[in-house]
Amino acid sequence: MVALVVAAIIPQLGSSFYVSLTLSVLIYGLLAISLDVLAGYTGLISLGHASFLGVGAYGIAYALKIGLDPIPAIGYALVAVLVTALLFGLVAVRVRELTFVILTLALGQIVWGLAYRWVSVSGGDNGLPVPGRPSFGPFDFSADSSYYYLVLVVFVLCVLVMWLVVHSSFGLSLRGIRDNEARMRTLGYNVVVHKYLAFIISAMFGGVAGVLFAFYNLYVSPTMIDFAHNGTVVQMVVVGGLGTLWGPLVGAGVIVFFQQFVSIYVPRWETVLGVIFILTVLFARGGLWGGLANLGRWLRVRAGEPPTSGASTSQALTEVDAASGSGD
Amino acid sequence: MQNFIQQTMNGVTYAGLLFLLGSGFTLIFGLMRIVNLAHGSTYLVGGYIGYTVMAATNNFILALLAGAVSMGIFGVILERGLMRQVRGQPISELLLTMGVSFVMGDLALAIFGGNPLSVRMPGGLDKSTLIGPITYPNERFFILGVAIVVAVILYVVIGRTRAGAMIRAGVDDREMVDALGIPIKRVFTAVFILGTFLAGLAGVLGASLLTLYPGADSEILTYALVVVIVGGMGSLKGAVIGSLVVGLLDNYGKAYFPELAYFSLFAPMVLILLWRPQGLFGKSVA
Repeated sequence: MVALVVAAIIPQLGSSFYVSLTLSVLIYGLLAISLDVLAGYTGLISLGHASFLGVGAYGIAYALKIGLDPIPAIGYALVAVLVTALLFGLVAVRVRELTFVILTLALGQIVWGLAYRWVSVSGGDNGLPVPGRPSFGPFDFSADSSYYYLVLVVFVLCVLVMWLVVHSSFGLSLRGIRDNEARMRTLGYNVVVHKYLAFIISAMFGGVAGVLFAFYNLYVSPTMIDFAHNGTVVQMVVVGGLGTLWGPLVGAGVIVFFQQFVSIYVPRWETVLGVIFILTVLFARGGLWGGLANLGRWLRVRAGEPPTSGASTSQALTEVDAASGSGD
Repeated sequence: MQNFIQQTMNGVTYAGLLFLLGSGFTLIFGLMRIVNLAHGSTYLVGGYIGYTVMAATNNFILALLAGAVSMGIFGVILERGLMRQVRGQPISELLLTMGVSFVMGDLALAIFGGNPLSVRMPGGLDKSTLIGPITYPNERFFILGVAIVVAVILYVVIGRTRAGAMIRAGVDDREMVDALGIPIKRVFTAVFILGTFLAGLAGVLGASLLTLYPGADSEILTYALVVVIVGGMGSLKGAVIGSLVVGLLDNYGKAYFPELAYFSLFAPMVLILLWRPQGLFGKSVA
């Protein structure tokens, strides 16, 4: 709640630079959170997730280019994302956990390659411009600060839906699949269908992030979905905290912070980020969010509250590992 | 027709390069269940080192050895130092190699710069030979030759020696091998080193066939992954067939359907996966 108030105030603080920055954190945060549904909760780490942002962004840019009105264009883009997810998902969910990772990497590269080569549709490495932001009735979003509120609302709605999904019985089944797929299968769950649905849900929210991104950046190009960006999304999720839903937002904030501020003082900031990533994987499984949660728990215990018995978020990564290790 | 022969030769040569990468990758995965996402960066850094040695000494053989051996040593450090920390946890291992690739990529950019670098092979290898209707560069024959030699050596070592039997047994059933008292950890390290050695070797060869530049690591990694997906994890035969499939399809695609080049890779990969999710020669697992 506090964070929401803070987030709502930011545009009022004046500097358009910070508004723009927070916008990108929100958009990438949404993308990272959508990946978390797949990676943290279902145990399927996708190295091609940025491609869904790409399909969404290119979808809307192309739709606007061929003359569709804004609202149908958004629909067009989302349908494109859905079709891509349906196709990719068909292959992706039938392979083993580790093959899934490299398959999604390959699929992500394919989308990137298409963006590069299919010049007639995507503009090649020149990209596609997005001709301004749509206005809905009395709301005009051409200013960053007003667009910010729209993005904030969409972000909160999307995360709310995802929160409901992962806390539903469907979400519990996903976690079961993450922890021990074989057992879920013997219990009679249709694991493939569950994975497929999780894949599509995750992709669709990634596509929403893509549409938001297109209107934010007003320009779409293949660089946004290259291998490095796919890796960055995973970085955001892992550093923020796998399986925590909010963690990836923190992760997005950290990485954008590094990109914008640390890069000024530390020329090898990407190396530093890489090292932080490595350290997180080695020692801090729950990521930053897990660390914060643990800190909160520790403070509460010190204040006299009895420790809660619920599973800690830092177990998420350990659980995925133990499952895949023993499921060999 | 002439063009077709040329494209086929290009595809086969490229397949040779991909085999050097794919074979190491598939063995590391088959035996250790590690998806080594740093394999592409190993290729790149090995290539850069080979380039540096070549620029300093103009001795191509030395450059090849430098690239390969330096990456072999790097493999020891990586496997013993970092990978051991997360032994038996596939997701963490994978993420770890991913982090390593980030760091390697950025450091390589810092050290070697952003300009594309390439190596020219010395002497006779720099020329071309007239074969039937076409003239084909010798350096490509050399690369193909190296790949074939490596394939034969791997086949003999893995198929016919005791050490190879240990590797094959490890790929089939790690726990049993360990239970039988075979020093599986040493086998792991050996295979990992072999993988990074071959990647470094491929890097120097790639420096002449293609060029080295920031981003080449992820590009070649993608190809190597498709090779292994198509061929099947852990299968050397799969790596051979996979590299041929990928190499040829990619070249034909780029030559005849440039707008949809990645599709020529994508479609067969997807079709194969729909039919056999474990790849052509992979083991099917419940």
